[in-house]
Order: sequence, then structure tokens, then C-alpha cells
Amino acid sequence: MFNKKSAVVFLVLTLIVALLAGCYGNSANVTSGNEPSSSPAAGGSSAGASPSASASAVAAPGSFKQSPFFDGKSLPPVADRLPKAPKLTNEVPDSFYKYEIGTYGGTLRTVRLDPVNDADLFIIQNEPLVNTPGMLGEEVTPNIVQSYEVSDDQKQFTFTLRDGLKWSDGVPVTTEDVRFAVEDVIFNPELTPIFPLWLKSAADETGTPFKFEVVDNLTFKISFDKPYGGFLLQLAWQGWRGYNDLLKPKHYLEKFHKKYADPAELEKSIKEAGFAQGDWVQLFTSKDLLNTEATYPKALGFPVLSPYVLTKTGDVIEFERNPYYFKIDAAGNQLPYIDKLQSTLVQNTEMVNLKILAGEVDHSYEFLSIPNVPLIKEKESEGGFKVYLNTLHRTANDIHLNLTYNDEAWRKTVRDVRFRKALDLALDKDEIADTVFYGFAKPSSIENTKRNLDEANKLLDEVGLKKDASGYRIGLDGKRFTIPFEVSSQFADFATLGELVIEQWKPLGIEVTLKQIDAKLYDTRNKANELKATIMFTPGPVQWVREQWGQNIWAPLWDQWWNSGGKKGEEPPKEALELFKLIASLRELPQAEALKKREEIRKNIGDNYWYFIHSEDIAAPVAVNARIGNISDTGWGIAHNFAGEQWFFKS
Amino acid sequence: MLSYIGFRVLQVIPLLFAISVIVFIIIQLPPGDFLTSYVDQLKLSGNDVDESMIMNLTSQYALDKPLYMQYFIWMKNILLHADFGTSFQYKMPVSAVIGERLLLTMAISFISMVVIWLIAIPIGIYSSTHPYSPMDYAFSLIGFIGLAIPGFLIALILIYTVYSQTGVAITGLSSPAYAEAPWSMAKVWDMVPRMIIPVVIIGLSGTAGLIRVTRGMMLDELSKQYVTTARAKGLSERKLLWKYPVRTAVNPLISTVGWTLPTLISGEAIVSIVLNLPTTGPILLNALMVQDMYLAGSFILILSVLTVLGTLLSDILLAVLDPRIRYGGASA
Repeated sequence: MFNKKSAVVFLVLTLIVALLAGCYGNSANVTSGNEPSSSPAAGGSSAGASPSASASAVAAPGSFKQSPFFDGKSLPPVADRLPKAPKLTNEVPDSFYKYEIGTYGGTLRTVRLDPVNDADLFIIQNEPLVNTPGMLGEEVTPNIVQSYEVSDDQKQFTFTLRDGLKWSDGVPVTTEDVRFAVEDVIFNPELTPIFPLWLKSAADETGTPFKFEVVDNLTFKISFDKPYGGFLLQLAWQGWRGYNDLLKPKHYLEKFHKKYADPAELEKSIKEAGFAQGDWVQLFTSKDLLNTEATYPKALGFPVLSPYVLTKTGDVIEFERNPYYFKIDAAGNQLPYIDKLQSTLVQNTEMVNLKILAGEVDHSYEFLSIPNVPLIKEKESEGGFKVYLNTLHRTANDIHLNLTYNDEAWRKTVRDVRFRKALDLALDKDEIADTVFYGFAKPSSIENTKRNLDEANKLLDEVGLKKDASGYRIGLDGKRFTIPFEVSSQFADFATLGELVIEQWKPLGIEVTLKQIDAKLYDTRNKANELKATIMFTPGPVQWVREQWGQNIWAPLWDQWWNSGGKKGEEPPKEALELFKLIASLRELPQAEALKKREEIRKNIGDNYWYFIHSEDIAAPVAVNARIGNISDTGWGIAHNFAGEQWFFKS
Repeated sequence: MLSYIGFRVLQVIPLLFAISVIVFIIIQLPPGDFLTSYVDQLKLSGNDVDESMIMNLTSQYALDKPLYMQYFIWMKNILLHADFGTSFQYKMPVSAVIGERLLLTMAISFISMVVIWLIAIPIGIYSSTHPYSPMDYAFSLIGFIGLAIPGFLIALILIYTVYSQTGVAITGLSSPAYAEAPWSMAKVWDMVPRMIIPVVIIGLSGTAGLIRVTRGMMLDELSKQYVTTARAKGLSERKLLWKYPVRTAVNPLISTVGWTLPTLISGEAIVSIVLNLPTTGPILLNALMVQDMYLAGSFILILSVLTVLGTLLSDILLAVLDPRIRYGGASA
């Protein structure tokens, strides 16, 4: 019995650490780089006109080189495998590091805790149609497509595929593959019962679905009936989106699609896969590969455009380089530099650390947490690795009070902006940065940065929260005012911060309690509007285009109202409605203008203290083999991960 | 005897049915299902989750069907096609997930068991024949330590000591060079030294327990009159010991075969997690945590079948070995 109990405790601890690490992805120069005037599209609303020239003008055909890995494998010459205009790699901005021309070879080893998902490999494998150097940089550049064009009214997007671009099995990519993905999958109500929000005008629930038009073998148009300037970022980076939604290998998938497959053959495949007779939808979904599924067993044999192709699944997942990958470096070398990827399943985060210390891991950003950095750093030279302190691509643990919780006295109090300001003033953000982040963060500039208890107490007096004999404040309903934090046990730092907040709000006379609950229970209670107060990270303050500024946590009912077009939930008050509108307007604007709007969002939050964003520039430690080149500690760690095809082993 | 066995086998059927139902219900008790945790995970890592994908997966995993239908489909496939379903987590058939790890798990468990018996029984006998001697105290002390300290803690201490003293990180059962190599003598030899640690750790608490049990049983037996009689009649001490009291004292070993059989398969989950062993134990724990219900359900079902079979087996073995039980059993 003792063993079992300990097992549970141990597992929970392990899981916390794992997931804590999971949330440390990384973050970039967004805060420092908000000068919209330097953006290429600053001139007006016509962003990104024909930015393809740079890619095609680089290396003349014939001067391309391939990895020795392919020598003697009876493949067509490398020049024929590359598209006519290969892409000159530009995954990260020049400011991150000086690009070195790499050398071929080697195996990149990673570790994972999930049976089939490896975040390191997923990000390396992910290829969007267009990309933005540094993950959320200030420009959008063509990636899989050779060029794109946006109409002046931000409604029409024209994309041209690279001539000669091929799937990993050598079959050319054409607009027929796009048409298949759009007409036969997205617009097929059986395969896509709910139309994806991001493909409606301005990603609005009430918007109309996009219109699709094939111009020729390589060009296609996507148009919306309302301005949707954010569409390019939707393609480039939102939701870590890959090409897979709009581009599917028709030659592979058509045999599982009712419209194309021979009925008898199809029925045979359905039976083999173990689905009910006639259930081709399930067969198709079980065969079609989404970008998040790059490491799944079904990726074996599935034609891809990513740098590597899956060759082995199981406890050890292996990838080999894609002979038809479309990127080159300035010297004409076909990317990637590293020949193979290998991901090993381990049982717990401590084992990840041990493997890093033993030098058995070449890259790990998912499982390293700030508290572990001293230990790992100490063994850097022995283990032959290096710890890069990149930035986290989101906040780590913001403080939310539920403004729409069903309790009149509570609502009246927490909806009073003076109350929220008082709580914010009572937070010692320097102490949070030191205690929770070991100094690897600084107080966020969105709200107050300096603690002021006197003013905070004065504000609370004004709100009408009187103190009782024992020094605690009484709520408007005559009972002691209590803030009960319920935090997900998934992330250890939530509880660390919670403990600290209890202490920091004590001088206000406010009783604060803290309870850790299971992640799934947290989710259920959050959705049911049952959480009064909690701690959870939000991407918004860092990945500003994301519409996730925690609205679904600090005001679930308002968020529901907004998302359902007023059918569900409750209508938000004026200031909140303004914020919702500001956030939504980012979707319609081209990037340069969106950057300006971002300032307005920050100001709105700074004025209203909707939730407490205490820290920014949070470090995300990444452990990397010291011999790997083309990596640095500038920008989000996840951005470097994204540019994995540029890494190489120095000899 | 045969009718006894037949009766016991028949008894097993409703028992297994009940177990399978309870298992299936308990796995589904926590809020949400596998997809909720899967979708949450995707959202937390910042992925856009397509509503259609969730709907498609729900129907693919038959999670949209009522509980009894899910159970019915699962059972039907097991009984008719020996198909335990697909693991949501691994996206592979359950049998493949478990099968991959079974050989190693059984090897570790079996070796540990043999080691336990080889060490514990002689020590137990020695302790009982030399009670309250310095050696008995020494063994008792070690035994109590082994019982009191959980295996995973010893594992952690061992990993730390080995790493800090030698710089060698014990990160799995085979060294990286052999991890993916096909089975060969070289690979087995590479594994043997690494196997010592899990075997020692898993064996330690078992050994400690068994020493205490053997010692206690032996002391009981040794003080019985037939021992005195045999000794009085001049039977050699060695023959006396091995022929009578020891045979009685090993009874508990046989009656616990019922529990030994499932542990052969399940392995020591926590020790495996700490030592990063690719055995089946951690899979079960993980499956339960994310509600990978066919994997967890099938696994527990297999364990239950083995427990029930093991108990049956030990009953029969006991009946064969111990006439006292045989007479009682025959009348039942």
C-alpha cells in the first residue's frame, strides 16, 4: 500500500515537473521590437507584395549539393529533386545569429515523456505555407509557397506554389492537392462537420466561409467577404499551424476518399482498419496526417513536405532526411544538415535531466525548468552540452479573478476596478520574479510595477470592504471576503506563486486560500464557470496576435457571449467589450497596423486590471549539444527549434 | 480432484465478468475522457484544436457511444477476435503495446523472483535454526531495512550514488549503443550488468519479507513435537530439517503463487519509472492517468485473469504438496 501511495505522489510530482517544463516553450524580441515603422509593410495596407524574389535569385541550378547520406541511393540528381526556385532558408531573423554554412551528417537525439508526441520534433517538422522569421517576427515571408499577394482591401490572398516542389515520395505538388484539401476535405460536411473558425471571414463565428479558386496548376486564390489581414499570420504561426490544412497529398489520400476510391477497394480498406462497414470517414481520418501528428505511427509512408520523414515508431521514434525537401542554404546545400532524428521515450523528467547530464540528449526545451538550471549548468562541460537561456513564448502564471462568477457580492466587488487595482498594487512583482523565476524574469510593464500597500489599502476602504475585529475584510454580503484559488496541479509553479500571493495580499486583510486540483477537474470547473480565482498562463501578452488574453478564465461568461455572437453567456460591460473588440480587430488588420493595436490592448488591460500579468521576459532554458551550430539564446527557444533544419554538428 | 478443479474453473467465469465490468466503470469514473485530456494538452501547448477533429476522433474512439455499448464492443472483440482494442495514446493495438514490453518485464520479474527465493529461503532457515544469534540479528536488521524503505527510494539513491561516484548515468536497461540493436548475445551481455540494479531493488523488499515469513514459519515448526520426536529417534539434523519443517515452511511461497503470476507481467511500476525501464508497469499507470481505457482495461483484465489463475494454480499445487489441504479441498 505504501508503495502504491508513494507511486501516486511520485507520479504526480513527476507529472508536474514534466508539464511545468512543457509550458516553457519560449519567447522573443516582441517587446523590444515594437517599432512598426521598421516593418516592411508600414507604407500602407498592401502587405507583402511579391516578396519571392530573394528566394529564387540565390543559387543557380546545377550548383546544388546533397548530403552524402543520399549517395548511392539511386535517387534523381539533387537539382531535379529541388523545386525550380528552392527556398533560401530564413527561419530566424539575422539578429538571432550569424548564419554559418553547415556540414552534413549526424543524428539529433531528443527525449519525450509521451508515447507518441515529441514537441521538439513536432516543431522541427512543422512547415507552414508562409512563415514569419523568429516565429512571430515583423514580416511574413513565403515558405512552402513561392510567393503570395494580398489585395489592398485585405480580402483576397493569392498564393503561387513552387514549380517542381515534390512530396517526400517524389510526386509533384500542384494546386490539385490544394483543391483536394479544400473541396474534398474542408468543404466535405462528413469529414469536417464543423467548419474551422479560422477559415471564416476574420475568424469570426458569424463570418462566412472562404471562397476558393484555382487559377492554374500552381496558383490559387483564397478570398473572404470581409477584411482578414491576420490571415497570413493564421497560416504562418497561429496554433503552430502547418501546411497540412490546405495542402494534402491527393495521390496518397484519394484511395481512402469515397469520391475517388473504388468502392470495393475502399470497403476492403475499411474492413482492414477495423471500422464499421461504409465508415469511410473514420478510415480517412485515421489515414490523414495533421501537422500535430508528425510522430504518430500513421505518418509511416505518408508523403510530407517537412525536413524529415518518419522511418520507425515505437519507444524509439526515428526520422530520416527528406530527399525532396525544398530549402537550401546560401551555398546551395540542400537542407537539413543533420541526417537523422531520434526520439526516445523516458519515464519521468528526472530521467530526462539525467540523460542530459550523461550527454545522451542533443536538444531538449520541453522538460528543462528554471529550478533545474543550476544543476544542468554545473555539468555543461562534462556532458558536452550547453544551456541556452531563451525567452518563453508566453507568460508563465497569471493571476485571474473570475469576474462573471455567479455570486452578486463577489461580482460587485471584483468588478470594481479600484478593487482590482488595489490587489495589483499589493503584489510585490520583484519578489515574484526572484522567487518563482529565480530572477530570470522582470516585472511586467503592462500593469503597476511598484508595490504600494498604503494606496492599496486606501482603495479597498473606498470600495467599502471594512475590516472585522481580527483584521480581515468583510465582503459586501457581510461575510469574510475570501479569494479561493483553485489551481491546476499540472504546473508546479502555479502553487509556488499561489503561496506567495497569499502572503503578499495578507497585509490588505484579504483572506486567500489555495487548493491544487487535477488538470481535468480544473478544465471542467473552468468551463462551467465554477472557478472563483485561479492561476494560469496566457499567450496574449507575448504572442500578441493570439486572441488568448485569458478572457475565458477571468470572464468565462463574457467570453461565451462574445464567441457565440450574443447567444450564450452575458454581455460584457463597455470597457470589457472594448477590449474584446480590440483583440478581434487584430484579425482584420495587416501586421504593421496590428502592432499598433497591440499597444491599445496593453493599455486597456493596464487601465482595467482585468487580470494580473506580473512578469515578462521569462527565461526558457534549453539544453543543446554544445557542438550544434546555428543556435543562440536570442529570441524564443521555440523559434530556434522551428529552425531545426539549419542546425548542424560542428566537427 | 478433477471435479474440484472443474468447479474452481467454473467459479472463475462470473468472477472475471464482474472484474471486467468494475474495471471498465472505474476507469471511466474521473471527469472527462481521453480526448478531453488530449485536447487540453494540445491547447496548452498552443495548438489550434479543430472542432471537427475532436468530433471525428470521438466517433473513431467510439467515445460518443454510451458506456454499456463501449463495454459491449470491447468484450465482443476480445471474445470473438482476441482483439483488445486500440490504445488511444500509442495509436497501436493494445496487444502490440503490451507485447513489446512483455518479454523484458517477465525476464526481470522472473530473475528477481528466483533471486529472492535463492537468497531468502536459506537465510530464513539459518535464522530460525540459529535464533537470536548475532547473524540472525544482522539478517533481521537488513530485512527490516528492506521492508521499510520503498524500492523507488533505494533506486533513486543508487542512481545518485553511481552517478556522483563514477559519472555513469544509469538511464535504462541497455546502453545507448545497443538500445536499438537487434537481440544478440552482445546485447544480452550488455544488459546483464544493468539488470543487476533493478533485480536487486525489486528483490530487496521481497527478500526481506520472505526471510521474515520463512523464519517465522520455521520457528513455529521447529518447536513442534514431531521435530523433537524425530531428533530423539536420532534422525540426522540435516535430513530432519529439510524433509519436514522446511517443506511445511515453504507453503506460503506456493500459496502466494497466485500473486506472483500477475506481478511477473505487471512489473514494479514505480521502480521501473525511476530506473527508466521499458517494462509494462509504467504503461499501466500512464494509461490510467490519461484514461486510455482499452489499454488500461485490457491490462487490468489480463492481470485479473492471471491472479485468478494463479490462485487456482496455487490451490492445486498446495493440494498436491500438502495432504492436509488435499483432504479439506476434496470435500469442498
